[in-house]
Amino acid sequence: MTALLLVPTTAWYLFLLVVPLGILIVFSLGTRTDVGGYAPGLTLQNYADLPTRWPAFQNTLTLALIGTVLCALVAYPLAYYLATRAGQKRTVLLILVILPFWTSFLVRTYAWLQILGANGIPSLLQTLGVEPRPVFLNTHAAVLLGIVYNYLPLMVFPLYVSLERLDKRLIEASKDLGANRLRTFFQVTLPLTAPGLVSGALLVFIPMMGEYIIPSILGGGKIYFVGNALVDLYLQSRNWPLGSAAAIGLIGLVVLTATVYLRLTRVSSQRDVSLL
Amino acid sequence: MTAGTLAPKVPATTRRRRIPNPGLGADRVFRAHSGLVFLFLYVPIGLVVLFSFTAGEHAGEMRGLSLRWYGAAFENQFVTRALSSSLQVGLLTAVLSTTFGTIAALALQRVRPRLRAAYDTLTYIAIVIPGIVIGIASLVFFVNVFGFLNPLLAGVWPSELGEAPKLAPGLQTIVGAHTVFAMALVIVLVRARLAGMDRTLGEASADLFATPWRTFRQITLPQLSPAILASFLLSFTFSFDEYVITSFVKGNVTTLPIYVFSSIRRPPVKPDINAIATVILAFTLLMLLSGWLIYRRGARRAGPPSAATDATADV
Amino acid sequence: MDRTQFQKLYLDYERGRIDRRAFLKASGLGLAAAVLAACAPGAGASTKPTAGTSSDWAPPKGVNLGDTLNLTTWPNYHDQATLDKFTELTGVSIALTIFGSNEEMLAQLQAGSTGWDVLVPTNYTFETYGQLGLLEVLDLSKIPNFVSSRYEARFLEPAHYPAGSSDLLGISKDWGTTGYVVNTKNATKPMTSWKDFFDMAQGELSGKVMIHDYQLTSIGNALKYHGFSFNSVDPNELAKAEETLLAAKPHLFAISSDYQPPMRAGDAWVAMAWTGDGVQLNRDIPDIKYIIGSEGGEIWSDFFAVIAGAPHRDAAYAFLDYMAVPKVMAADAAFHGYPIVDSAGIDLLPAEFKNNPIIYPDEKLLSPLEFGAAVTLTDQNRADLWNRVKSA
Repeated sequence: MTALLLVPTTAWYLFLLVVPLGILIVFSLGTRTDVGGYAPGLTLQNYADLPTRWPAFQNTLTLALIGTVLCALVAYPLAYYLATRAGQKRTVLLILVILPFWTSFLVRTYAWLQILGANGIPSLLQTLGVEPRPVFLNTHAAVLLGIVYNYLPLMVFPLYVSLERLDKRLIEASKDLGANRLRTFFQVTLPLTAPGLVSGALLVFIPMMGEYIIPSILGGGKIYFVGNALVDLYLQSRNWPLGSAAAIGLIGLVVLTATVYLRLTRVSSQRDVSLL
Repeated sequence: MTAGTLAPKVPATTRRRRIPNPGLGADRVFRAHSGLVFLFLYVPIGLVVLFSFTAGEHAGEMRGLSLRWYGAAFENQFVTRALSSSLQVGLLTAVLSTTFGTIAALALQRVRPRLRAAYDTLTYIAIVIPGIVIGIASLVFFVNVFGFLNPLLAGVWPSELGEAPKLAPGLQTIVGAHTVFAMALVIVLVRARLAGMDRTLGEASADLFATPWRTFRQITLPQLSPAILASFLLSFTFSFDEYVITSFVKGNVTTLPIYVFSSIRRPPVKPDINAIATVILAFTLLMLLSGWLIYRRGARRAGPPSAATDATADV
Repeated sequence: MDRTQFQKLYLDYERGRIDRRAFLKASGLGLAAAVLAACAPGAGASTKPTAGTSSDWAPPKGVNLGDTLNLTTWPNYHDQATLDKFTELTGVSIALTIFGSNEEMLAQLQAGSTGWDVLVPTNYTFETYGQLGLLEVLDLSKIPNFVSSRYEARFLEPAHYPAGSSDLLGISKDWGTTGYVVNTKNATKPMTSWKDFFDMAQGELSGKVMIHDYQLTSIGNALKYHGFSFNSVDPNELAKAEETLLAAKPHLFAISSDYQPPMRAGDAWVAMAWTGDGVQLNRDIPDIKYIIGSEGGEIWSDFFAVIAGAPHRDAAYAFLDYMAVPKVMAADAAFHGYPIVDSAGIDLLPAEFKNNPIIYPDEKLLSPLEFGAAVTLTDQNRADLWNRVKSA
């Protein structure tokens, strides 16, 4: 009976996860035909060629890291406010935080295209006297903004949950023992909410590494994530073997990061019922 | 607020005059920060909604108010078709992933630890794997499988039934690819709920001679229902708004995000996109509101919330 | 039933959507069938919309064209009015899929099952498409308005596959050049060559220049900067081109084949461009000029083709036939600004079109230009180079 219950899941995982990934691995060992595509082979050359794409990997890691840190910096005070000082309004405010998730992600990113584009903020700045008209699009900053904007709610939630569970009496005790607010924060609040931070960072950093739409829309072909390099290898250069190797590389990177994070939170994750 | 009760006892008059409430200054800072964050989150959305009402030609200019783009959007057969496809894909994905994921989560409780670890690993991979990778991999898989099966099918198909069906990427492949991630999500959520559930109730039910099915139906399922419902909603939302995976495996089909993306890539963008986005937002708000009202009513009828039904707060 | 209902019913019958019996039944004209059949042409003409080109083309009788056509094409390449007229005449709505390079189109077709019907490929792609069997050999009986003798040979000839055979994989749409547009109000220093383009991109025009997201043209023009052939696949020459591109990249505004919006908004002052975009931009913003690099560059010709296994094959042929009508093609060209190939269509063009130096450049600028070669499209080194440049 138990086996029967597992059949659909097994079938799905097998045919739509394991086998496709297996095909990717097979492809990554092949070569590109003259016109593009896959020709069977058994070579590790593609993996050897991956380092030429290192700038894309580096770009991805850097921007994802900065993005995660920015998300944390913006989300923490918000979560703190919601968890400790918002009182009755907190449910409504929480819903307001997650509501943007339910507008189309593409439309939201496109809205930023408008805001950062020639007719948006730069035009505003120009009327205020800033000459020449500044250009915000197609920069690392624009992509960073887009990333933080889209992933912020994901960071708020684990932080909120963690802060909400914080035993307030510990804060009071710290204050009673003479610590000022700053010290209380760094020595009591922050360490106790670390699991929430790590959880949120995980929820945000991992998808950021696989991003491809935001750099594509807000980056103007200049800002490249591994995802963009990957898509172009398949859908422009038509070098399927190299693209597959890059895909495996990306998976490896993502799994490695996730594993490291999870190891870090192994102790506290049992207590914390977060989204992962 | 409890901090105030442990504050040193200072005469009320002195406190009012000499020691300002330590919370107020910080409070203002927090409120300001939160206000800015909400502004940041909502200005783009606000602009999208605003420009949906423009009487002008482009999504960037506000020239008078009009509902014409709402009309234009829903008269556009490409839009209505895309909407319909997205709804079908979303519902199918949600139903399949919730059903399969829930029964799998239940089954995984009784399975050997080694086997469970294997499924956990696969679930974990399904969640962290980037959409482009699974999209490309799935496309390659489908193309090869169909390329293999179609000649076979054509060979064995009896001629009286007309032409053999040709397998090709389309609605089914989109649902298939979406379900991988959605199902993994369901498994994680339901298992988390199961882990936090009170086992003793189930044991008591068994002690009272209830069949496993009855125990499941009357004890386990009600406790799981918030998690199942939440999973369903999350799966639907994920699938409805999904672009990357869909763009690879869609074949002939256009879903709403696909339509939106191709419109964005061809400026100047027409505001029918804004109209569609606003309608979806309004619809979601409505759903959330009614969900919340139902929950409130249910909570009032059921009495004070117990630890078991508090699950939705976690999610 | 009232007049509009009857008109709609009749149009459906004309378009092959409903058969004769259904029409007669629905309109209640069973007894008058014979009379109606005799009067059909007259009745038809009065119910058709009266607009310019409608009398020049009619959809094939009795063929069900369906209600959708998927056209895969380039940015700013069709007059929406031309497409709308087609929809009016046939009831077929046209969905556009836009790409900025032949490689992207090829990649999607190679991956399979795109659901596209009509493609707009460029001259050098036919060898590859022919080899891979991705395009249908055109059934010219379905395109009666296409008279190949009116088409200039050097532009039409690449569509024959295998080369030299009489099989055609496409009919000509237009031809053009690849140069760059300059907003002379902002970029005041005169520019005439690819040297100017790439040097000034890194110098005084930093942050204002765009190149195509297209290996063939971007690498090709970087090669011209060094005086090499546009189609070179020599690794040493390619290495120099790569150097140039990498040096320019940090200074570019964007790498995109969708350069009209930034040029119009003033975010970009110079962009690698095609003839017709030059015409459209210059028409709306006279300060924007179109320059062909003095070292040379690309001359190309584009076609309409039907994709093998197209889901709406009949509608695809109807569309090709429609576009082959000289009046339609000329009206379209008046909008998009690309020179057409059909001599009958050229005769219909207004004088200012024929005298426009952007559309018909001086012979001394035209002669150094090279047609793209098939190998240039598929060469692995060039493809990898491009991916490396973008990843950098």
